[in-house]
Amino acid sequence: MKNKKLVIMVIICLALIVAVLPLFSACGTKAQPGQVLKVGIITPTTGAAAEKGAPMGDANLDAIEYINTELGGVDGYKIEAVWRDSNYDAAKVATIVKNLMDEGCLLFTTSSSKEMQAAMEIANRAEFPGLVCFNAPSLHRPPQHVYGQTPDYGDDWIAFTNLYLKNIWKGSGKPKMALLLLSNPTGYGARDAARAYADKLGIEILWDGQVGKAFEHAATTTSETEALTRIKAMNPDVLYISSTPAPTAVIIKNASELGMYPKITIGCGHASFTKKLIDIAGVDIVDGVYGAFPTVMWGENVPGMAKMTEYLQKKHPKDADNMDYITAWAQSLVVAEILKNAIKNAGYDVLAKGNVDSWRAVETKGIQKLKGYDVGGLQGAVSYTPGDNRLTKFNRIYQIVNGKISNPSAWTEASLVKYEEFDWFGK
Amino acid sequence: MSLPCGIRNYNYAEDMAIIRTKTHWALLIAFLIIIFTMPLYFSNYWLGVFNLIGITLIAAIGLNILVGYCGQLSIGHAGFIAVGAYTAAILTNRLEMPFLVGLIGAGLVSGFIGIIFGLPSVRVKGFYLAITTIAAQFIIVWVINHWSLTGGFNGIKVPYASIGDLVFRSESSQFYLIITIAALCVFFAKNLTRTKVGRAFIAIRDNDLAAEVMGISLLYYKLLAFFIGCFFAGIAGALLAHWIGFLNAEQFSFTESILYIGMIIIGGLGTTIGPIFGVVFIRILQQVLTVNLVPFLENTFTMLPAGFATGVTPMLFGLVIVLFLILEPRGIAHRWGLFKSAYRLWPFSY
Repeated sequence: MKNKKLVIMVIICLALIVAVLPLFSACGTKAQPGQVLKVGIITPTTGAAAEKGAPMGDANLDAIEYINTELGGVDGYKIEAVWRDSNYDAAKVATIVKNLMDEGCLLFTTSSSKEMQAAMEIANRAEFPGLVCFNAPSLHRPPQHVYGQTPDYGDDWIAFTNLYLKNIWKGSGKPKMALLLLSNPTGYGARDAARAYADKLGIEILWDGQVGKAFEHAATTTSETEALTRIKAMNPDVLYISSTPAPTAVIIKNASELGMYPKITIGCGHASFTKKLIDIAGVDIVDGVYGAFPTVMWGENVPGMAKMTEYLQKKHPKDADNMDYITAWAQSLVVAEILKNAIKNAGYDVLAKGNVDSWRAVETKGIQKLKGYDVGGLQGAVSYTPGDNRLTKFNRIYQIVNGKISNPSAWTEASLVKYEEFDWFGK
Repeated sequence: MSLPCGIRNYNYAEDMAIIRTKTHWALLIAFLIIIFTMPLYFSNYWLGVFNLIGITLIAAIGLNILVGYCGQLSIGHAGFIAVGAYTAAILTNRLEMPFLVGLIGAGLVSGFIGIIFGLPSVRVKGFYLAITTIAAQFIIVWVINHWSLTGGFNGIKVPYASIGDLVFRSESSQFYLIITIAALCVFFAKNLTRTKVGRAFIAIRDNDLAAEVMGISLLYYKLLAFFIGCFFAGIAGALLAHWIGFLNAEQFSFTESILYIGMIIIGGLGTTIGPIFGVVFIRILQQVLTVNLVPFLENTFTMLPAGFATGVTPMLFGLVIVLFLILEPRGIAHRWGLFKSAYRLWPFSY
């Protein structure tokens, strides 16, 4: 009798499994004609980069709401944002990207270069196009299916160094620059640019022991006094930091404590140069620090500022004055333009499949057809150039004055650097 | 093993059999059929999740042998997984060796590195050994980041796994590869615990002084435990490398090491089935939170403060681990054992 009971239970279990399994395969229904355009959005809303990821996630979703409610979507089709929090965790990103592919997303965006680095190989293998907000050379060189919304961290370094040599350096000979970089793509983008271009620009890089080895720190660092003491012993004229806001604040504070700053000039990459840096470090500490950024400042008189400010104040007033919000808002507008191009050139029926054919259409008929798209003046014009996966090549250098990011320089175009031609690149 | 009423063991082979009755065989075959037909029913995303579960399971089994059976606390397992991953990457990418060479090489290199970092276990134990394994984690990650052979901070690409002309390109093919290796590892771990080596591990865990007095060489068996545990970690690392396709040291953080400890505790230390329960529970929980619960909370409860929903994930994780430690410290495996006993004895309570 017991065997009979067991057999019956097994049969019931198997029947239940067989009945339920098709439901799993039905998960991630592809976009149907007349419905939506799915876009995957990955932001580090929790974790070590939350101070950047949270406002960027807010901006991405706010912009998409604006596009859907006030602009009527993209050619009448609403954008459905499939948003995921990566927790700044590379292993999690790998499964998230596969989830986005299964959900029928047409492309995906990430906020940080680390997230895109984790997703890059999976996306490139599947030809699933990705758009990264904060870009590093290793993500788009050699060019495959990952595109950078903004100039990369190497372009930041080049732009800052050019400005420094032209407007700030008053001495003779080559100025000495130390690099204190985050130990991930954010940092080594600047390192690669410095290694490739320092001699050409006429600046001497103070490496940490051997050429190509910059001073490094972790995203969770609480003190860089040791590294700065070693840098101080080398008598630098300028310190360049490519990191996120919290570690950058720590570095500038430690540099002040050691008496290095404001004697030397400090420049930052765009990953750290936001209002968060001022909030964390304190107004007095960061006054006079320079930074590269690919967008306008809050309050500038550009066409796209009013609507963005309206949504910020209505939905996320705590993100006020945060320039990451501007970057991510612009990213969503760029995505909408990509989808608009793709619908116009390939047709919605192709996109509705949500498979590799759709991804190829989005890439070749959408992304690669971008030409001079003006993102409401919020950042440089967006254009695709064959062989160069950076969709915007323009940067500005700002300075923190009296607690505000101000004194923007003119827009500087960052020329293409083919890092893969250097034998040390990627090693 | 508790046998059904009326079933007796009449010889040594029957006594030692892992699958003893026809019902057990039927259930095992049904289970294997379901597992190996999963690619027919599940989407690529869920196959990816199961692949990650399979890879994590291999590493967790190794950690369970080291911690659960031999009692050597190791909180640097992610570092040993990284050793395996990068070994496989270097052998297949830089030296263009076949996948199988990379796989076995990854296990061996990771095992030997495990022996080196396991040497302190001969002199220290418990909390102090945990500190040395934490040091292993950070040392390994530092070396990876500062060695040109591993690509340093740039990372390193890893080609698809392949055996001869068969390239494991799709999620389904990778699923079959990973699940087959995971099944072999589970089988190995189950048998290991029933051998002289396994009994020596258990003796060392229960009372290493008494074990030594009995003639068990602590040096040999402790280092063997580290080798076996890290060998499994190396195999898992190699599979992870080929599955993700790109390696960076940040994928092997200290948080991952702690997560592995959490998995084997929740699953049940010192059991073969414990790591399976722990890994499945934790990985499914991660996916449910990331893909389903958090976006649902974010979209449905718009009155909540911004970012509140995303904070639920770490809160829930911590809560789950704490609840397990309080309410079921012996893990899900113990609860499963109680369920099986209740089912066997039903309607009697003992």
